[in-house]
Amino acid sequence: MTSTLIQKVFRWARRKSLWVLHYNSGGCNGCDIEFLDLLTPRYDVERLGIRQESVPRHADILLCTGPVTRQSRDRVLQIFTQIPEPKWVVVVGSCGCSGGVFQGSDYVLGGVDQVIPVDLYIPGCPCRPEIIIEGLIKLLEKIE
Amino acid sequence: MSFKVLVFPGFGFLFCLAMLAEWIDRRMIARFQGRVGPPVFQPLADFIKLLGKEDLLPTGVNEKLMAALPLISLAACLTAGMYIPVAGVSVNNFEGDLIVVLFLLSLPSLLYFLAGWSSIGIYSILGGNRALLQFFSYEVPFLLALSGPAILNSSWNITDIMVNQSTSIWAIFVLPVGFMLAFFGLIGKLKRDPLDIPKAQSEIVAGPLTEFSGRKLAIWHLANQIQTVVGIFLLVDTYFGGGVIESRLATFLLFSFLALLILVSLSVMSAMYARLRIDQLARLGWKRLIPLSLLQIAFIVWMGKGF
Repeated sequence: MTSTLIQKVFRWARRKSLWVLHYNSGGCNGCDIEFLDLLTPRYDVERLGIRQESVPRHADILLCTGPVTRQSRDRVLQIFTQIPEPKWVVVVGSCGCSGGVFQGSDYVLGGVDQVIPVDLYIPGCPCRPEIIIEGLIKLLEKIE
Repeated sequence: MSFKVLVFPGFGFLFCLAMLAEWIDRRMIARFQGRVGPPVFQPLADFIKLLGKEDLLPTGVNEKLMAALPLISLAACLTAGMYIPVAGVSVNNFEGDLIVVLFLLSLPSLLYFLAGWSSIGIYSILGGNRALLQFFSYEVPFLLALSGPAILNSSWNITDIMVNQSTSIWAIFVLPVGFMLAFFGLIGKLKRDPLDIPKAQSEIVAGPLTEFSGRKLAIWHLANQIQTVVGIFLLVDTYFGGGVIESRLATFLLFSFLALLILVSLSVMSAMYARLRIDQLARLGWKRLIPLSLLQIAFIVWMGKGF
Protein backbone atom coordinates (compact mmCIF):
# COMPACT_ATOMS: atom_id res chain seq x y z
CA MET A 1 0.00 0.00 0.00
CA THR A 2 2.61 2.54 1.07
CA SER A 3 5.01 1.37 -1.62
CA THR A 4 2.42 1.95 -4.34
CA LEU A 5 1.73 5.41 -2.92
CA ILE A 6 5.44 6.25 -2.99
CA GLN A 7 5.67 4.90 -6.53
CA LYS A 8 2.76 7.11 -7.51
CA VAL A 9 4.43 10.17 -6.02
CA PHE A 10 7.68 9.44 -7.84
CA ARG A 11 5.86 8.83 -11.12
CA TRP A 12 4.03 12.14 -10.70
CA ALA A 13 7.32 13.94 -10.03
CA ARG A 14 9.05 12.30 -12.99
CA ARG A 15 6.26 13.33 -15.31
CA LYS A 16 6.25 16.91 -14.05
CA SER A 17 9.98 17.52 -14.10
CA LEU A 18 12.11 16.65 -17.10
CA TRP A 19 15.61 18.03 -17.42
CA VAL A 20 16.92 17.77 -20.95
CA LEU A 21 20.52 17.46 -22.06
CA HIS A 22 20.97 18.48 -25.66
CA TYR A 23 23.74 16.90 -27.74
CA ASN A 24 24.50 17.32 -31.40
CA SER A 25 25.97 14.02 -32.51
CA GLY A 26 26.96 15.26 -35.96
CA GLY A 27 24.02 17.10 -37.50
CA CYS A 28 23.81 20.31 -39.52
CA ASN A 29 22.65 22.51 -36.57
CA GLY A 30 19.15 22.96 -38.03
CA CYS A 31 17.36 20.81 -35.45
CA ASP A 32 19.44 22.36 -32.66
CA ILE A 33 18.10 25.80 -33.48
CA GLU A 34 14.56 24.40 -33.57
CA PHE A 35 15.15 22.79 -30.17
CA LEU A 36 16.44 26.06 -28.70
CA ASP A 37 13.17 27.66 -29.84
CA LEU A 38 11.45 25.65 -27.12
CA LEU A 39 13.13 27.77 -24.47
CA THR A 40 12.04 31.09 -25.98
CA PRO A 41 8.94 33.05 -24.85
CA ARG A 42 6.86 31.79 -27.77
CA TYR A 43 6.98 28.10 -26.78
CA ASP A 44 8.34 28.23 -23.17
CA VAL A 45 8.54 24.57 -22.16
CA GLU A 46 9.36 25.54 -18.57
CA ARG A 47 5.60 25.63 -17.96
CA LEU A 48 5.66 21.83 -18.58
CA GLY A 49 8.58 21.46 -16.19
CA ILE A 50 11.10 20.89 -18.98
CA ARG A 51 14.42 22.56 -18.40
CA GLN A 52 17.69 22.51 -20.30
CA GLU A 53 20.65 21.25 -18.30
CA SER A 54 24.27 21.36 -19.35
CA VAL A 55 25.56 18.39 -17.33
CA PRO A 56 24.75 14.73 -18.09
CA ARG A 57 24.65 13.92 -14.38
CA HIS A 58 21.76 16.34 -13.80
CA ALA A 59 19.70 15.31 -16.83
CA ASP A 60 16.80 12.90 -17.35
CA ILE A 61 16.56 13.01 -21.13
CA LEU A 62 19.30 12.88 -23.72
CA LEU A 63 18.06 14.78 -26.75
CA CYS A 64 20.22 13.92 -29.75
CA THR A 65 20.16 15.70 -33.08
CA GLY A 66 21.84 14.53 -36.23
CA PRO A 67 23.33 11.20 -37.33
CA VAL A 68 26.11 9.61 -35.29
CA THR A 69 29.47 10.19 -36.92
CA ARG A 70 32.47 7.96 -36.23
CA GLN A 71 34.04 10.78 -34.24
CA SER A 72 31.09 11.36 -31.94
CA ARG A 73 30.21 7.69 -31.31
CA ASP A 74 32.30 7.38 -28.14
CA ARG A 75 31.05 10.70 -26.86
CA VAL A 76 27.41 9.72 -27.28
CA LEU A 77 28.09 6.50 -25.38
CA GLN A 78 29.97 8.31 -22.65
CA ILE A 79 27.26 10.93 -22.18
CA PHE A 80 24.60 8.22 -22.16
CA THR A 81 26.35 6.25 -19.42
CA GLN A 82 26.86 9.42 -17.34
CA ILE A 83 23.13 10.12 -17.12
CA PRO A 84 21.70 8.56 -13.93
CA GLU A 85 18.74 6.16 -14.17
CA PRO A 86 15.86 6.53 -14.97
CA LYS A 87 16.77 8.06 -18.32
CA TRP A 88 15.30 8.36 -21.78
CA VAL A 89 16.71 9.13 -25.19
CA VAL A 90 14.89 11.32 -27.68
CA VAL A 91 16.06 11.71 -31.25
CA VAL A 92 15.14 14.86 -33.12
CA GLY A 93 15.32 15.08 -36.90
CA SER A 94 15.34 12.64 -39.80
CA CYS A 95 19.12 12.22 -39.77
CA GLY A 96 19.10 11.11 -36.14
CA CYS A 97 16.22 8.69 -36.77
CA SER A 98 17.69 6.82 -39.71
CA GLY A 99 20.83 8.52 -40.95
CA GLY A 100 18.78 10.62 -43.38
CA VAL A 101 20.69 12.02 -46.34
CA PHE A 102 23.96 10.84 -44.80
CA GLN A 103 22.95 7.18 -45.04
CA GLY A 104 25.71 5.00 -46.44
CA SER A 105 28.44 7.56 -45.91
CA ASP A 106 31.82 6.26 -44.78
CA TYR A 107 31.99 8.67 -41.90
CA VAL A 108 28.50 8.15 -40.51
CA LEU A 109 27.29 5.12 -38.55
CA GLY A 110 23.61 5.88 -39.18
CA GLY A 111 20.88 6.81 -36.74
CA VAL A 112 21.37 7.27 -33.02
CA ASP A 113 19.77 3.86 -32.38
CA GLN A 114 22.89 2.23 -33.86
CA VAL A 115 24.74 3.26 -30.69
CA ILE A 116 22.29 3.65 -27.79
CA PRO A 117 18.67 2.55 -27.18
CA VAL A 118 16.19 5.23 -28.31
CA ASP A 119 12.79 5.81 -26.68
CA LEU A 120 11.29 8.36 -29.02
CA TYR A 121 11.88 9.34 -32.64
CA ILE A 122 10.77 12.78 -33.84
CA PRO A 123 11.25 12.98 -37.62
CA GLY A 124 11.41 16.16 -39.69
CA CYS A 125 14.03 18.15 -41.53
CA PRO A 126 14.20 20.17 -39.37
CA CYS A 127 11.33 19.37 -36.97
CA ARG A 128 9.05 22.19 -36.01
CA PRO A 129 9.12 23.14 -32.29
CA GLU A 130 5.43 22.19 -31.96
CA ILE A 131 6.26 18.64 -33.01
CA ILE A 132 9.11 18.43 -30.52
CA ILE A 133 6.77 19.56 -27.71
CA GLU A 134 4.17 17.01 -28.79
CA GLY A 135 6.81 14.30 -28.87
CA LEU A 136 8.00 15.18 -25.39
CA ILE A 137 4.40 15.04 -24.11
CA LYS A 138 4.03 11.59 -25.71
CA LEU A 139 7.16 10.59 -23.82
CA LEU A 140 5.66 11.89 -20.57
CA GLU A 141 2.75 9.50 -21.06
CA LYS A 142 5.19 6.61 -21.50
CA ILE A 143 7.00 7.32 -18.23
CA GLU A 144 6.28 4.82 -15.46
CA MET B 1 12.27 20.89 21.23
CA SER B 2 11.57 18.37 18.47
CA PHE B 3 8.64 20.56 17.38
CA LYS B 4 11.03 23.49 17.08
CA VAL B 5 13.53 21.48 15.07
CA LEU B 6 11.10 19.67 12.79
CA VAL B 7 8.17 22.04 12.31
CA PHE B 8 8.56 25.69 13.35
CA PRO B 9 10.96 27.35 12.69
CA GLY B 10 12.86 24.22 11.71
CA PHE B 11 12.76 21.91 8.74
CA GLY B 12 9.06 21.83 7.79
CA PHE B 13 8.51 25.57 7.86
CA LEU B 14 11.72 26.42 6.03
CA PHE B 15 11.18 23.62 3.48
CA CYS B 16 7.73 24.98 2.52
CA LEU B 17 9.05 28.55 2.35
CA ALA B 18 12.05 27.45 0.27
CA MET B 19 9.78 25.73 -2.26
CA LEU B 20 7.51 28.77 -2.38
CA ALA B 21 10.43 31.18 -2.74
CA GLU B 22 11.93 29.17 -5.60
CA TRP B 23 8.60 29.13 -7.42
CA ILE B 24 8.07 32.90 -6.98
CA ASP B 25 11.62 33.53 -8.15
CA ARG B 26 11.40 31.33 -11.26
CA ARG B 27 7.96 32.66 -12.10
CA MET B 28 9.06 36.28 -11.76
CA ILE B 29 12.13 35.74 -13.94
CA ALA B 30 9.95 34.02 -16.54
CA ARG B 31 7.48 36.91 -16.51
CA PHE B 32 10.31 39.43 -16.92
CA GLN B 33 11.51 37.45 -19.94
CA GLY B 34 8.00 37.37 -21.44
CA ARG B 35 7.48 33.68 -20.67
CA VAL B 36 4.73 32.00 -18.64
CA GLY B 37 6.95 30.18 -16.16
CA PRO B 38 6.58 26.97 -14.19
CA PRO B 39 3.47 25.93 -12.19
CA VAL B 40 3.43 26.25 -8.41
CA PHE B 41 4.33 22.61 -7.62
CA GLN B 42 7.38 22.69 -9.92
CA PRO B 43 10.12 23.01 -7.23
CA LEU B 44 8.53 20.16 -5.25
CA ALA B 45 8.36 17.95 -8.35
CA ASP B 46 12.01 18.71 -9.14
CA PHE B 47 13.02 17.86 -5.58
CA ILE B 48 11.11 14.55 -5.46
CA LYS B 49 12.33 13.55 -8.89
CA LEU B 50 15.95 14.15 -7.91
CA LEU B 51 15.42 12.06 -4.76
CA GLY B 52 14.34 9.15 -6.95
CA LYS B 53 17.28 9.26 -9.32
CA GLU B 54 20.35 7.08 -9.40
CA ASP B 55 23.29 8.36 -7.39
CA LEU B 56 26.42 8.44 -9.53
CA LEU B 57 29.88 9.55 -8.48
CA PRO B 58 33.12 9.70 -10.44
CA THR B 59 35.70 7.04 -9.62
CA GLY B 60 38.42 8.02 -7.17
CA VAL B 61 36.48 10.55 -5.08
CA ASN B 62 36.02 10.34 -1.32
CA GLU B 63 32.45 9.05 -1.24
CA LYS B 64 31.79 9.79 2.42
CA LEU B 65 32.96 13.38 2.01
CA MET B 66 30.80 13.84 -1.08
CA ALA B 67 27.77 12.55 0.83
CA ALA B 68 28.51 14.67 3.90
CA LEU B 69 29.07 18.02 2.15
CA PRO B 70 25.47 18.71 1.03
CA LEU B 71 24.12 17.52 4.37
CA ILE B 72 26.41 19.82 6.37
CA SER B 73 25.45 22.68 4.08
CA LEU B 74 21.74 21.99 4.65
CA ALA B 75 22.27 21.65 8.39
CA ALA B 76 24.12 24.98 8.56
CA CYS B 77 21.32 26.79 6.73
CA LEU B 78 18.61 25.19 8.91
CA THR B 79 20.50 26.01 12.11
CA ALA B 80 20.86 29.62 10.99
CA GLY B 81 17.08 29.63 10.45
CA MET B 82 16.53 28.70 14.11
CA TYR B 83 17.90 32.06 15.29
CA ILE B 84 16.10 34.31 12.82
CA PRO B 85 12.92 35.93 14.18
CA VAL B 86 10.02 35.41 11.76
CA ALA B 87 7.26 38.04 11.70
CA GLY B 88 8.29 39.27 15.15
CA VAL B 89 8.28 35.77 16.67
CA SER B 90 11.68 34.89 18.09
CA VAL B 91 12.13 31.26 19.08
CA ASN B 92 15.78 31.20 20.12
CA ASN B 93 18.06 34.11 20.79
CA PHE B 94 21.17 34.97 22.76
CA GLU B 95 23.64 37.83 22.78
CA GLY B 96 25.90 37.39 19.77
CA ASP B 97 23.63 35.24 17.63
CA LEU B 98 24.12 37.60 14.69
CA ILE B 99 27.76 36.48 14.52
CA VAL B 100 26.73 32.82 14.70
CA VAL B 101 24.12 33.24 11.96
CA LEU B 102 26.61 35.04 9.71
CA PHE B 103 29.13 32.25 10.25
CA LEU B 104 26.53 29.55 9.55
CA LEU B 105 25.42 31.34 6.39
CA SER B 106 28.97 31.60 5.11
CA LEU B 107 29.65 27.91 5.74
CA PRO B 108 27.81 26.69 2.57
CA SER B 109 30.13 28.79 0.39
CA LEU B 110 33.19 27.09 1.85
CA LEU B 111 31.54 23.67 1.50
CA TYR B 112 30.73 24.60 -2.08
CA PHE B 113 34.42 25.16 -2.72
CA LEU B 114 35.26 21.87 -1.00
CA ALA B 115 32.68 20.07 -3.16
CA GLY B 116 34.35 21.41 -6.28
CA TRP B 117 37.80 20.52 -5.03
CA SER B 118 36.98 16.98 -3.94
CA SER B 119 34.98 15.95 -7.02
CA ILE B 120 37.75 15.26 -9.49
CA GLY B 121 36.90 17.20 -12.61
CA ILE B 122 38.28 20.24 -14.34
CA TYR B 123 35.00 22.17 -14.30
CA SER B 124 34.44 21.44 -10.62
CA ILE B 125 37.91 22.55 -9.60
CA LEU B 126 37.65 25.74 -11.67
CA GLY B 127 34.24 26.41 -10.15
CA GLY B 128 35.58 25.78 -6.66
CA ASN B 129 38.43 28.25 -7.16
CA ARG B 130 36.01 30.84 -8.46
CA ALA B 131 33.69 30.22 -5.51
CA LEU B 132 36.53 30.96 -3.11
CA LEU B 133 37.58 34.12 -5.00
CA GLN B 134 33.98 35.32 -5.00
CA PHE B 135 33.70 34.47 -1.30
CA PHE B 136 36.55 36.86 -0.47
CA SER B 137 35.00 39.63 -2.55
CA TYR B 138 31.44 39.68 -1.20
CA GLU B 139 31.80 38.29 2.33
CA VAL B 140 33.73 41.22 3.85
CA PRO B 141 31.30 43.93 2.68
CA PHE B 142 28.38 41.70 3.72
CA LEU B 143 29.74 41.27 7.24
CA LEU B 144 30.57 44.97 7.61
CA ALA B 145 27.17 45.97 6.21
CA LEU B 146 25.30 43.77 8.67
CA SER B 147 27.39 45.00 11.57
CA GLY B 148 25.98 48.50 10.80
CA PRO B 149 22.53 47.92 12.37
CA ALA B 150 24.19 45.99 15.20
CA ILE B 151 26.41 48.94 16.17
CA LEU B 152 23.52 51.35 15.64
CA ASN B 153 21.35 49.46 18.14
CA SER B 154 24.34 48.53 20.34
CA SER B 155 23.50 44.82 20.38
CA TRP B 156 24.65 41.68 18.57
CA ASN B 157 21.37 39.91 19.22
CA ILE B 158 19.10 39.84 16.13
CA THR B 159 15.93 39.93 18.21
CA ASP B 160 17.17 42.95 20.20
CA ILE B 161 18.16 44.75 17.00
CA MET B 162 14.68 44.07 15.61
CA VAL B 163 12.75 45.13 18.73
CA ASN B 164 14.92 48.20 19.25
CA GLN B 165 14.18 49.42 15.72
CA SER B 166 10.44 49.13 16.17
CA THR B 167 10.62 51.82 18.89
CA SER B 168 13.19 54.07 17.18
CA ILE B 169 13.79 54.12 13.42
CA TRP B 170 14.41 51.44 10.79
CA ALA B 171 18.09 51.05 9.99
CA ILE B 172 17.46 51.38 6.24
CA PHE B 173 16.54 55.06 6.69
CA VAL B 174 19.81 55.75 8.52
CA LEU B 175 22.02 53.43 6.47
CA PRO B 176 20.62 53.08 2.92
CA VAL B 177 24.13 52.40 1.59
CA GLY B 178 24.55 49.60 4.09
CA PHE B 179 21.38 47.95 2.87
CA MET B 180 22.62 48.12 -0.72
CA LEU B 181 25.89 46.48 0.32
CA ALA B 182 24.08 43.77 2.26
CA PHE B 183 21.77 43.14 -0.70
CA PHE B 184 24.75 42.85 -3.04
CA GLY B 185 26.47 40.53 -0.59
CA LEU B 186 23.35 38.39 -0.42
CA ILE B 187 23.35 37.99 -4.21
CA GLY B 188 26.97 36.88 -4.04
CA LYS B 189 26.27 34.53 -1.16
CA LEU B 190 23.38 32.86 -2.97
CA LYS B 191 25.39 32.76 -6.23
CA ARG B 192 22.48 34.31 -8.07
CA ASP B 193 22.57 35.77 -11.51
CA PRO B 194 24.81 38.81 -11.75
CA LEU B 195 27.22 36.97 -9.44
CA ASP B 196 26.75 33.35 -10.51
CA ILE B 197 30.44 33.24 -11.37
CA PRO B 198 31.17 29.89 -9.61
CA LYS B 199 28.48 28.02 -11.53
CA ALA B 200 28.45 30.00 -14.79
CA GLN B 201 26.54 27.69 -17.09
CA SER B 202 27.99 28.88 -20.37
CA GLU B 203 31.58 28.75 -19.14
CA ILE B 204 32.08 25.90 -16.67
CA VAL B 205 28.81 23.94 -17.06
CA ALA B 206 27.60 23.69 -13.44
CA GLY B 207 30.72 24.54 -11.44
CA PRO B 208 31.30 22.55 -8.26
CA LEU B 209 27.98 20.69 -8.61
CA THR B 210 28.95 19.21 -12.00
CA GLU B 211 29.63 15.74 -10.61
CA PHE B 212 26.69 15.56 -8.20
CA SER B 213 23.50 13.76 -9.13
CA GLY B 214 20.32 12.41 -7.59
CA ARG B 215 19.82 12.82 -3.86
CA LYS B 216 22.97 14.88 -3.28
CA LEU B 217 22.04 17.38 -5.95
CA ALA B 218 18.52 17.67 -4.49
CA ILE B 219 19.97 18.50 -1.07
CA TRP B 220 22.37 21.05 -2.55
CA HIS B 221 19.45 22.78 -4.26
CA LEU B 222 17.36 22.66 -1.10
CA ALA B 223 20.20 24.09 0.98
CA ASN B 224 20.60 26.95 -1.48
CA GLN B 225 16.88 27.73 -1.38
CA ILE B 226 16.77 27.65 2.41
CA GLN B 227 19.79 29.94 2.44
CA THR B 228 17.83 32.32 0.21
CA VAL B 229 14.91 32.38 2.65
CA VAL B 230 17.11 32.78 5.74
CA GLY B 231 19.19 35.51 4.08
CA ILE B 232 16.08 37.47 3.09
CA PHE B 233 14.64 37.16 6.62
CA LEU B 234 17.95 38.30 8.08
CA LEU B 235 17.90 41.44 5.93
CA VAL B 236 14.28 42.18 6.89
CA ASP B 237 15.04 41.70 10.59
CA THR B 238 18.19 43.81 10.69
CA TYR B 239 17.37 46.59 8.24
CA PHE B 240 13.56 46.86 8.43
CA GLY B 241 13.13 46.10 12.12
CA GLY B 242 11.41 42.83 11.21
CA GLY B 243 8.36 44.89 10.25
CA VAL B 244 7.26 44.84 13.90
CA ILE B 245 4.16 46.94 14.67
CA GLU B 246 1.71 46.67 17.61
CA SER B 247 -0.85 44.36 16.03
CA ARG B 248 0.20 40.75 15.37
CA LEU B 249 -1.59 40.51 12.02
CA ALA B 250 -0.17 43.79 10.74
CA THR B 251 3.33 42.62 11.70
CA PHE B 252 2.80 39.38 9.79
CA LEU B 253 1.54 41.22 6.70
CA LEU B 254 4.31 43.83 6.76
CA PHE B 255 6.98 41.15 7.29
CA SER B 256 5.66 39.06 4.37
CA PHE B 257 5.47 42.14 2.17
CA LEU B 258 9.05 43.17 2.94
CA ALA B 259 10.41 39.65 2.44
CA LEU B 260 8.55 39.38 -0.85
CA LEU B 261 9.90 42.76 -1.90
CA ILE B 262 13.50 41.64 -1.36
CA LEU B 263 12.85 38.32 -3.16
CA VAL B 264 11.38 40.13 -6.16
CA SER B 265 14.32 42.56 -6.17
CA LEU B 266 16.64 39.55 -6.34
CA SER B 267 14.66 38.25 -9.34
CA VAL B 268 14.80 41.66 -11.02
CA MET B 269 18.57 41.73 -10.58
CA SER B 270 18.83 38.22 -12.08
CA ALA B 271 16.70 39.14 -15.07
CA MET B 272 18.35 42.52 -15.69
CA TYR B 273 22.06 42.05 -15.38
CA ALA B 274 24.59 39.83 -17.12
CA ARG B 275 27.27 37.97 -15.21
CA LEU B 276 30.33 39.90 -14.02
CA ARG B 277 33.81 38.57 -14.72
CA ILE B 278 35.72 37.38 -11.68
CA ASP B 279 38.30 40.19 -11.94
CA GLN B 280 35.51 42.76 -12.25
CA LEU B 281 33.91 41.39 -9.09
CA ALA B 282 37.20 41.36 -7.17
CA ARG B 283 37.93 44.95 -8.21
CA LEU B 284 34.40 46.08 -7.32
CA GLY B 285 34.53 44.28 -3.99
CA TRP B 286 37.91 45.43 -2.75
CA LYS B 287 38.10 48.92 -4.29
CA ARG B 288 34.51 50.12 -3.96
CA LEU B 289 32.38 48.07 -1.57
CA ILE B 290 34.79 47.51 1.32
CA PRO B 291 35.83 51.21 1.57
CA LEU B 292 32.14 52.12 1.37
CA SER B 293 31.22 49.76 4.19
CA LEU B 294 34.10 51.08 6.33
CA LEU B 295 32.90 54.62 5.65
CA GLN B 296 29.46 53.57 6.78
CA ILE B 297 30.78 52.33 10.11
CA ALA B 298 32.76 55.56 10.52
CA PHE B 299 29.51 57.42 9.84
CA ILE B 300 27.70 55.54 12.63
CA VAL B 301 30.51 56.27 15.06
CA TRP B 302 30.52 59.94 14.04
CA MET B 303 26.78 60.10 14.70
CA GLY B 304 27.65 59.26 18.29
CA LYS B 305 25.80 55.96 18.26
CA GLY B 306 27.30 52.71 19.38
CA PHE B 307 30.51 51.88 21.21
